[in-house]
Amino acid sequence: MVQLVGSLRKELADSISTCKVLVVGAGGIGCELLKNLVLTGFKNIEVIDLDTIDVSNLNRQFLFQKKHVGKSKAQVAKESALQFCPSANITAYHDSIMNPEYNVEFFRKFMLVMNALDNRAARNHVNRMCLAADIPLIESGTAGYLGQVTVIKKGMTECYECQPKPAQKTFPGCTIRNTPSEPIHCIVWAKYLFNQLFGEEDADQEVSPDTADPEAAWNPEETAARATASDKDGDIKRVSTKEWARSTGYDSVKLFNKLFKDDIMYLLTMDKLWKKRKAPTPLDWHQLENSECPKEGTPASGLKDQQVLDVWGYCQLFQHSVETLRSQLQEKGEGAELVWDKDDPPAMDFVTAAANLRMHIFSMNMKSRFDVKSMAGNIIPAIATTNAVIAGLIVLEGLKILSGELESCRTIFLNKCPNLRKKLLVPCVLDPPSANCYVCASKPEVTVKLNVHKTMVLTLQDKIVKERFGMVAPDVQIEDGKGTILISSEEGETEGNNNKFLSDFGIRNGSRLQADDFLQDYTLLINVLHVEDLERDVEFEVVGEAPDKAPPPQTNQEEVNSITNGNKDSAQPSTSSKAPSEDDDIMIVDSDEEDGAASSSAAAAATGGTKRKHSDAETGETSTKRPRTDQSAGDNNDDDDIIALD
Amino acid sequence: MIEKEDPVISEEEAAQYDRQIRLWGLDAQKRLRGSRVLLAGLGGLGAEVAKNLILAGVKGLTLLDHEQVSEESCRAQFLVPVTAQGQNRAKASLERAQNLNPMVKVHADPDRIEDKPDDFFLQFDATASFCTLKEALAVDWTSEKAKAGLKRTPVDYFLLQVLLKFRTDKGRDPDPQSFPEDSQLLRQIRDDVLESLSLNSDLLNDDFISYCFSEMSPVCAVVGGVLGQEVVKALSQRDAPHRNFFFFDGRKGNGVVDYFGPN
Repeated sequence: MVQLVGSLRKELADSISTCKVLVVGAGGIGCELLKNLVLTGFKNIEVIDLDTIDVSNLNRQFLFQKKHVGKSKAQVAKESALQFCPSANITAYHDSIMNPEYNVEFFRKFMLVMNALDNRAARNHVNRMCLAADIPLIESGTAGYLGQVTVIKKGMTECYECQPKPAQKTFPGCTIRNTPSEPIHCIVWAKYLFNQLFGEEDADQEVSPDTADPEAAWNPEETAARATASDKDGDIKRVSTKEWARSTGYDSVKLFNKLFKDDIMYLLTMDKLWKKRKAPTPLDWHQLENSECPKEGTPASGLKDQQVLDVWGYCQLFQHSVETLRSQLQEKGEGAELVWDKDDPPAMDFVTAAANLRMHIFSMNMKSRFDVKSMAGNIIPAIATTNAVIAGLIVLEGLKILSGELESCRTIFLNKCPNLRKKLLVPCVLDPPSANCYVCASKPEVTVKLNVHKTMVLTLQDKIVKERFGMVAPDVQIEDGKGTILISSEEGETEGNNNKFLSDFGIRNGSRLQADDFLQDYTLLINVLHVEDLERDVEFEVVGEAPDKAPPPQTNQEEVNSITNGNKDSAQPSTSSKAPSEDDDIMIVDSDEEDGAASSSAAAAATGGTKRKHSDAETGETSTKRPRTDQSAGDNNDDDDIIALD
Repeated sequence: MIEKEDPVISEEEAAQYDRQIRLWGLDAQKRLRGSRVLLAGLGGLGAEVAKNLILAGVKGLTLLDHEQVSEESCRAQFLVPVTAQGQNRAKASLERAQNLNPMVKVHADPDRIEDKPDDFFLQFDATASFCTLKEALAVDWTSEKAKAGLKRTPVDYFLLQVLLKFRTDKGRDPDPQSFPEDSQLLRQIRDDVLESLSLNSDLLNDDFISYCFSEMSPVCAVVGGVLGQEVVKALSQRDAPHRNFFFFDGRKGNGVVDYFGPN
C-alpha cells in the first residue's frame, strides 16, 4: 500500500522537504510560484530579484501591498511567504542573477532552478549556468492571457538557446531622423532625444536630420558630397546635442524651435524625400501660443492619461517636462546623466510631448500618454490568473523532475481559447538538443559576417559577443597561433583596443576568434566572414539567420486587439536596440501536440488553430498566425514573460 | 445587480490596475468595479479564486464557509494563519484576503449555503447561466451517439461523478486519516457508477484513488486561475465563457474544455 503525505508519495514528500530550489525572479510568476512551493511542502527556497516594488505590480504580485512600494521584491516576497509557512527556510537576494557571485558552484547547491524572469539576457545567462552546473531548469513566461512552461535538462532537451529567437527589431536611422511614418518612429526619436539631452549620449541615437540619407540624394555622388559637407561644415552634428542644449541653458522655447521648426525646415530642403511623401509642417512656438483656443471642458469619464491633448497642450507639456528635467539634472551635479524610466513622470511626459509634436508635424494622429507609455515602455499587459496557472504548472513539472520522471515532462502552452482538440492547456513533448546549438553543442561555433576594416573591437565586444551571444564578461582571443588577446574580461586591460579595427590585428576573412565567458563556463568559436557591404545600419550578421529588420507597416487585416477601448493599432516593436526598461520575450512555439501533430496546412486552415497565434508584444493579444517557416523577425520583447520562437 | 451609476476609476485605481486595464480595457474594469461576488468554500481552490477576484478589483466579495479551520487547513491555503485552528474558515481568511486589495470590500459569512434564504443571493451579480450541474451529469451514455463520443470524453468527467457520489454518501470528502476504508469505498463507487452508465469499469483504473485525498496547491492554482478568469469574463461581459466544464489533469498537463448537458 502506497504511503501518502497529503496527495504525495512519501519518498517524493521527503525529497521536497529536504531539497534546495532556486527561484529567479519575484514578480508576477515569482510571487505565485513562491506561494505554491511553500504550500506544496518545499522547505528550502532561495529567491533572487534585483527589482523594487512598484504600484503597478499590485494587481498581480500579491505578496506585495501598497505599504511595500519601493522595497526589495525578493525580501518582501520572502517575508510574506513565511507567513503561510513559518517553518520554511527562505533566503532572499536583492541582486542580479548575472552577478559573478552566483557562479557554477552556487547553482550546484540546487536540485532545481525555476525561472520567473522578464528578459532574454537573464534567461540566456541562467540557461548557461544551469547547463554548466547540469541542474534541471524550468523556464516559463506569460503575456496577457497566454503563457508557457518548459523544462530544460542538459543533454536531454533543447536548451533555451537551441532555437534562435527573433532579435529585437530596430529601425533604420533615416526613418527615425528624417522620414517617420508611424507613431512608433516618433516615440523612438523622442526617447533618443531624451538621452541626447539629459542622459547618456549614444552615437546610434542621433536625432538631427540625417544629411547622408541615400534617399535624399538625386544621384549617388550627391550622397557622398552631402556626407563630407556635413563633416566639414562643423554644423550641429559636430557640437553634441547636449552641449548645445546646455549652451542655451536648456531653454525650452529655444529647444522647441530648433527641434520642431528649424530641423524640420532643414528636412524640407531635402526635397527628394518629399516627392512621394507628405512633407512635414514645422511648428512655431509663438504662433501656437498666440492662436491658442480656449479650452473645452475635458470629458469626465475615462482616465486622464487616456485623453489626447491638442498641439498647444503638448507644447506646454514639453516646456514643463524640460524644466523639471533640467532641475533634476542640476541637482545631480556636474557631468550628471538621467536614465529614462517610464515610471518617472517628467521623463514620461517629455517623451509623450516630444513624440506627439513630431507626430503632428508628420501628419499623424496624436496619441494619449497611456498609449505612448505602452509603446515607449514596451509594456506587456499582465493579470494575476495567467501567472497563477503558469506557476501551478511549474510546480507540477518540478514534482515530475524530483520524482525522477523527466520523460513525462512537457512544454505546456496556455491558450486563451480551447483549440480544435478542446484543449486550453496543451502539453507537448520536449525536443532533444539541437546539434548546431551555439550554446549547448559540444564545441559551439558560429559564423559572423562583418567588415573587418570597419568593425571596431568595442563593437565586437558589446554588440556581438555580449548582446548577440549573451556573454556577460567575455575574453576573446585570436586563433592566430600566438593567442593574441583582443578582449579581456579584466577591467581596463584591453581598453586600448576598443577603438581599433579588427583588421588592425590581422583579422581577415576566415579568421577564427575564441570567445569565453568564464562564469558561464562557455566557449564559442567565431568564424569571421569578411564582406565589404552590409545593409544600411547593419553592423554584422550571423550566418544562418535572417537579418533583423522592422517589418513593413501592416496594411492588411491583421488586427490586433487593442489595449485600450476599441482603438485598433498595429503591433509595435521595441523602441530600442538595447535592452529596454521593461523588456521581454514572447515564446511562441508551434505546438505539435503529443497525441499526433496537426500538420501545418491543417492548422493553417483551422480558424481556432492548433498552432499558437503570434503574440503581439505590446498587447499580449494574438494576431493572425505566422507559419512555422516564416523567418521574419517577430514582435517580441517587452515587459514580462513570454519567450518567442517562430 | 450591476451598479446603476457608472463607477469612476480613481487615479489610484488606474495606477494599480494599469497592467490589466491595458489588457481588457477601461469599460471591463469599470464593470468589475461595480460587481459583488459570492464565493462559497474557502479550501485551497476557494482561496485561489478569492485572491484572483480580489486582485482583479471587484466591488465586493463575500466569503461563505461554515467549516472550521483544521490542522490541515493552514497548509492547504494561504489565507488562514497557522494560529487560527478552531475558528470559522471564512472569518479566519478575512484579514489576509482584505489585505490583498483594500479597495475591495471583503466580508466573511460563517453560515451554511443551504441555510441562506433565496433573497440572500439577489445582492450578488448574475453570472452567465449554464445548464444545472444535475443536468450535466445526467447524460445518457447508452445512446449510440454518446458511445461514439465516449472516446473523446475526458475520463475526469467520470471521476467527478465518483467524487460527488462519495460526498453524497459520506457527507465529506475522502480523508487521509481513513485511507484504507475510503479507498475501498471509492473503488466500489467507481464500479457502481460506471456500471449504472453501462460502461466498462476499466475506464477509470485504480490509480485515481491516491489522487482523491486532498487538494494539491499547484492544481488549485491552475484550476483557480481558470475559474477566476471565467468569473472575470462573466462580470466584465467580455470574451465568451468556456462551455461548460473544464477538466485539468495535473499529471499529463492537459486542460480540456468540454460540454456536458442537453443539446
